[in-house]
Amino acid sequence: MLDRSIAERRLTGEPAVLAERRQAGLAAFEASAMPTQADERWKYIDLDFTIDDLTLPDVAGAELAAPIGVERVSARVVDGFVSITGDAPGGVRMGTFAELAGDDGELFGRVVAERSDDIFLAGNAAFSGDGLFVQVSRNTVVADPIVIDVQSVSAGTISFPHIAIALDDNAQASVVLLFRSSEAELAVAPVVESTLGSGARLFMTSVQTWGRNTQGLGYQRVRLGRDASMKMGEVGLGGALGRLDLSVDLDGDGSSYLLNGLSFGDGQQVLDYRMVLNHRGRNTSSDVLLKGAVEDQAESIFTGLLRIEEQATNTSAFENNRNLVLSAGAKAQSVPNLEILCDDVVCGHGSTVGPLEEEHLYYLASRGIGRERAERVLVKGFFDEVIDKLPAQAVAGPVRDEVERKFVAAQEAGRLG
Amino acid sequence: MNLALEIIDLHASVGEVEILKGLSLEVPFGQIHAIMGPNGSGKSTLCHVLAGKEVYTVTGQARLDGRDLLGEPTDVRARMGLIQGFQYPVEIRGVKLIDFLREAADESGIEAAEVERRIVASGDQFDMTRFLTRSVNQDLSGGEKKRSEIFQMAILQPKVAILDEIDSGLDIDAVREVAEAVEAMRGPDVGILIITHYSRILRYLTTDRIHVMMEGRIVESGGAELATELEAGGYEALRSRLK
Ligand SMILES: Nc1ncnc2c1ncn2[C@@H]1O[C@H](COP(=O)(O)OP(=O)(O)OP(=O)(O)O)[C@@H](O)[C@H]1O
Ligand SMILES: [Mg+2]
Repeated sequence: MLDRSIAERRLTGEPAVLAERRQAGLAAFEASAMPTQADERWKYIDLDFTIDDLTLPDVAGAELAAPIGVERVSARVVDGFVSITGDAPGGVRMGTFAELAGDDGELFGRVVAERSDDIFLAGNAAFSGDGLFVQVSRNTVVADPIVIDVQSVSAGTISFPHIAIALDDNAQASVVLLFRSSEAELAVAPVVESTLGSGARLFMTSVQTWGRNTQGLGYQRVRLGRDASMKMGEVGLGGALGRLDLSVDLDGDGSSYLLNGLSFGDGQQVLDYRMVLNHRGRNTSSDVLLKGAVEDQAESIFTGLLRIEEQATNTSAFENNRNLVLSAGAKAQSVPNLEILCDDVVCGHGSTVGPLEEEHLYYLASRGIGRERAERVLVKGFFDEVIDKLPAQAVAGPVRDEVERKFVAAQEAGRLG
Repeated sequence: MNLALEIIDLHASVGEVEILKGLSLEVPFGQIHAIMGPNGSGKSTLCHVLAGKEVYTVTGQARLDGRDLLGEPTDVRARMGLIQGFQYPVEIRGVKLIDFLREAADESGIEAAEVERRIVASGDQFDMTRFLTRSVNQDLSGGEKKRSEIFQMAILQPKVAILDEIDSGLDIDAVREVAEAVEAMRGPDVGILIITHYSRILRYLTTDRIHVMMEGRIVESGGAELATELEAGGYEALRSRLK
């Protein structure tokens, strides 16, 4: 049984806005139940754990080994507890939610959403150890990436990391988010919120490599101001369950959102991507490309909704989901949706689900490339299209290696086809 | 000495439909031959049957430098020295041409340094350098695709090079360039077979022999005069003469 009194203990002494948020979160948590497949948002996955079988971590557990591919880590969030390394690039302000809420309640209210529409979001509001706040001030361009290493390590726990990133008007920054966990059985429900002011530009690369026994339930929310733009790279490789619930609000006129993502599921993994893009401003654009592969018994789901509101004239929105199903027992589902309330739009969506194309294999064979190598070349090429576009190219090498490792393991075990 | 390519009484069908109906053809090393023939006569099918595409039921014989081709899988035939430029090369998104060539060359046992040397030299010769880091055939024009196919041959250096519809969809300058590229490929260790609908390309390269294919067989072989005859009277006139 999850010890709900932790929320009460944590809010004691916290600034009012934060304490109120916890209280509201706790009330919502008490009123929620574990999601079932009857709920539209959870329709495609069967959660095989119960939150009340888990406990809340009291303190941060032992940290994982240093991540590969990144040089400086600016902050760590371990089991939901924040530690700021002091190694952030110049021009970046970092702090905990408690510090922010104490300093500037208005800003806190603006960048940390009141969202408790399911048990995990409510739990995050109620029980989060600490939130991490990152702010880049007006007109500031931060050249080096801000690396945030999110780790969950303690067995039997559910932890609730929460990160809020605020780019003030015309600020520019790149953020690398690493989501990692130990091999222990645990759950983690991280929330990342990005709020971009007018003309702000955010490059974000998120690399999810949860451990084999992690139930990962990620949430990302993006709010874009006038002429703001965000380029996102998303990598989903780990977890027993790796879910990402992404919602992007293109509120400001002229705002744009670009996402290049990839996932690779093996074993019994379930990778679930849920995206809602709300075009609200005029002259906004979005372009989403998510490529996934599944092998063995793995399963992937993509549910994408492009919603164009009535006043969102001159919108351009594209959504593409491409899936490689590499083994007979693997499964990929792709459900792209459009909801267009405005007629002045250019929209497109596409999805494909299938094995490697025989025509491609034949072409490679006609140049002397044998079946195994041809498969490897094609899978690498399939993913390179998105890996090459990850904003943080420093992580491209390790991501490419991990994708290749997964594929070669499947090939060597004879699980393809 | 062996022939580069020797085909004897080749039959191929898809399901109940026979497409190649007893085709025989010889291409010696050092020579360039051309096949001309009406639409649907089976020219592309011949290419795919020789490449070993899996949809056909095949009988007869086909040998490359004296070694049997039929029965070997496609990649083995290519490594034996058979490389084709297809009529419709597929686009392979994400696979960069340079990586593709390195993998193919490595699989054929060509030294890495030698591969790089050829890529530089032929990249220059065929003006393909700027396409090296693009996906294979992706967003290339018709002419660029043909050039890419020939460029790949220059890297892999086959014993038998077959180019299907080598000049279709090309502008006048591109036809000359492609013809010159084929002529440049000529050598004592390679036999070249081009498939074309137009005698125009034959002005820019010297063919040792022209074969006319109709309804799944070679019905006539000859010199340049055969192309001239076809140009004047079409396949209909040839058909009447052969009757
Ligand atoms: N896989 C197939 N299944 C059934 N019929 C086929 C198949 N491939 C080719 N054919 C038929 O065989 C005949 C020969 O086709 P092929 O493509 O070889 O002709 P071609 O000589 O290359 O023509 P073109 O000059 O138009 O390129 C055609 O009638 C075609 O429809
Ligand atoms: Mg043809």
